[in-house]
Amino acid sequence: MLYFDYTASSASVSDELVAVHRAFWENLANPGSWWTGAERVAIAAETRRARACSLCRKRREGLSPASVQGEHDHLGALGPAAVDAVHRISTDPGRLTRAWYEQTLAAGLTDAQYVELLSVLVFVISIDNFNRALGVPLEPLPEARAGGPSRYRPKTARMDGAYVPMIPASDATGAEADLWNKNQTANVIRALSLVPDAVRMLKKLSSAHYIPFEEVVNPRFRRHLDRSQIELIAGRVSVLNECFY
Amino acid sequence: MAAITSDRAVKNSGVAHGDVLLAFANAAYAAESEADPTLAVAREAVRSAVGDDGFVDACAVVGNFQRMVRIADGTGIPLDGVVSAMTQDIREELGIESYPSAENSSEASPAARAAGRALRPVMMTAFRWMGRRDR
Repeated sequence: MLYFDYTASSASVSDELVAVHRAFWENLANPGSWWTGAERVAIAAETRRARACSLCRKRREGLSPASVQGEHDHLGALGPAAVDAVHRISTDPGRLTRAWYEQTLAAGLTDAQYVELLSVLVFVISIDNFNRALGVPLEPLPEARAGGPSRYRPKTARMDGAYVPMIPASDATGAEADLWNKNQTANVIRALSLVPDAVRMLKKLSSAHYIPFEEVVNPRFRRHLDRSQIELIAGRVSVLNECFY
Repeated sequence: MAAITSDRAVKNSGVAHGDVLLAFANAAYAAESEADPTLAVAREAVRSAVGDDGFVDACAVVGNFQRMVRIADGTGIPLDGVVSAMTQDIREELGIESYPSAENSSEASPAARAAGRALRPVMMTAFRWMGRRDR
């Protein structure tokens, strides 16, 4: 099946965007570092399901997410800790806390599973939001492929101020040498580095959707929108999500 | 800068078609589906203002930051040191310090805040220049 042909769009989508969306859909279906292909596709499906979850809706309207108890409207393919993580991150990211993250680990997810789950979720959300903004239906999810996860964990990842371990800015070396040049990175790039393949996909998606990482400091970078227009939209979406970073 | 949090401030921001782009960002964020009527109106306004290619760029940026905010808040990353120092005052002015996820970052030192205040006029000039230069 050919995904992302965008024939339903009356505006032409660039080859760059089509290519990276197809690359992620291929990646989504394959086993990852800590989840099988079937689990990764299940995370994607649950991400979409979360938008209609009545518990999540009540929690968003409540003063605090913890003040509303209940069960998520979910698809039944993932365990409860994974379901809650998908739903909370998808629908109410601005009120996530360290305590909630630690409870999520206590409920059975490992830190690396959490990071990979987060990466799948956010990549799906970015592509789905693109489609929705463009005015075309969401892409059907791919068929999962067989195989076990690699269980690869970078040796240099350590706790460094975030909830999750990250590779230090100076330590993208060896198998991780392609992630960033020494000390030329930012926390938002390092954030997923407990699962290096997630950083690789993040760089590709960000480069096509926004700005290549090496151009971020270039105020004259532009696409068809200029840099100020790009940053205005970026800033507003961040404010709407109450994202401090 | 204030245009990021205030629709009224966009007129003085120097960003070409800023009002249309903000309306689109708002509508895209709130839309339940691609058929949402408010989003449909905003979509056509963007296409008229910046053309189809600019409109696709706008969609891509919306998607990008719906991703990035969840990476940041889902992992609890603190602000990078330089950014924290240079933007403390701006963040307070914009009301961003009240966000729950602000607790993931520590306050900049007095020296860092002073340096940030000194550099702020340079930053604002650069942003205005970006907006005018590339039109």
